Amino acid sequence: MRLVRLVRLVRLVRLVRLHVASRRVPAAAALIAGCAVALRVALSRRFDASGVLQLALIFEAACAAVIAVTSASPFGDCERTAARWLPFLRLTTVLALTALGAGALAAAGTGAHLAGGALGVLRNLTGLVGLGLLGALAAGGGLAWIGPIAYLVVGTYALWRGPVLTTPWLWPARAPHDLGAAVYAGLVFAGGLVAITVRGARDPAGQ
Amino acid sequence: MNVEITRVTRRFGRTMAVRGITLTAGPGVLGLLGPNGAGKTTLLRMMATVVPPSSGRMRLLDRDPGLYRPRQEIRRRLGYLPQSLGYYPGFTIGEFVEYFALLKEVPPARMRTAVSAAIERVELGDQAKARLRTLSGGMLRRVGIAQAIVNEPDLLLLDEPTAGLDPEQRVAFRALLRDLGQHATVVVSTHLVEDVGAACARVALMDRGTIVYTGTPAELTARGVGHSSGDAPLERGYSAVLAAARS
Repeated sequence: MRLVRLVRLVRLVRLVRLHVASRRVPAAAALIAGCAVALRVALSRRFDASGVLQLALIFEAACAAVIAVTSASPFGDCERTAARWLPFLRLTTVLALTALGAGALAAAGTGAHLAGGALGVLRNLTGLVGLGLLGALAAGGGLAWIGPIAYLVVGTYALWRGPVLTTPWLWPARAPHDLGAAVYAGLVFAGGLVAITVRGARDPAGQ
Repeated sequence: MNVEITRVTRRFGRTMAVRGITLTAGPGVLGLLGPNGAGKTTLLRMMATVVPPSSGRMRLLDRDPGLYRPRQEIRRRLGYLPQSLGYYPGFTIGEFVEYFALLKEVPPARMRTAVSAAIERVELGDQAKARLRTLSGGMLRRVGIAQAIVNEPDLLLLDEPTAGLDPEQRVAFRALLRDLGQHATVVVSTHLVEDVGAACARVALMDRGTIVYTGTPAELTARGVGHSSGDAPLERGYSAVLAAARS
């Protein structure tokens, strides 16, 4: 009985390893680590109040874009017809990379003046990843970076010289413990996560 | 019957790709012939459970693919080679085939032998450790066939499997098809009539979303007697049936 479980576990680990490799997750993890290092270096310089908020948002959006792009499947229809484990694999990949991103950025801000702190990073990153995943569903995994980067442009303007827009949809402009912003970001993340788990990213044209 | 399709249609926006097709298939090799845009790929994608029909009834391997659990069971026993094979270029041939064996839940005890047997059957055994990025188009096609047969499927769907294969490989592939068709239902979509003549027990000819002919390759050949269009007897039969359907 124990042996059967062990064999199953080994198979699952092997499946996860191959899935993760096909989604270029190791490269994504390296990019996320690079973002965290760059954030740490940037935080050693002085910024005004809005600059601090914008700085955090830049690196959160970069991490979210990287995470969302890993939703692209290189296999197309072949993989869709071999599918029982696929939703589980997609879900695990996104959750693991989001946790890694939030952890790495929060760690980079430890002992420095990181806007929003760890809670703010978690909220902003999950919301941005959700946007990216919804974009992957609509336009394909290869274009999933568009959502987070578009949000970065709008968010940077909103934070210009102190928040000029304060709707809860602009999470970075709100305090880290603001319930409305957390709920909105959480909803976007949950929506993107469910969509990508169940449907997967849209395949590029011709596949 | 492993495939029972009744009055199935598939619409993409305003385009009707498949128009009320009825088709049954048991074990053996069925060739799906037809010109470009006839609806062959759409029909295969519906049979592969990639896209659902817009209307009509399908039963595959005695199950309803419209329901979640039966669809998962069908997929476990299905092999599918799409027209455009997607792959991760960093995988070796062995890793690629193993990934699909794992997804299709090949039993652990058979995993290693199933992967190597599938690779051997497409004559790539000596290159199992080669990266996919280093392979030619024909070799990639054979890798695609290997992933489709790794779970010894009861229903095997191949969309243009011989595209990119050289003549020697095509001859070997036809032998493989005949072998697979002894136990499984194999549906091969192609517009190469010589593949159908050499490997298929039955042929269905599609045109503009409908099936305009079903029968044996010999019967299709007989339809071409006296018809001038086509270089080979089977091609003349193909052209004669298409001309009659369009008149």
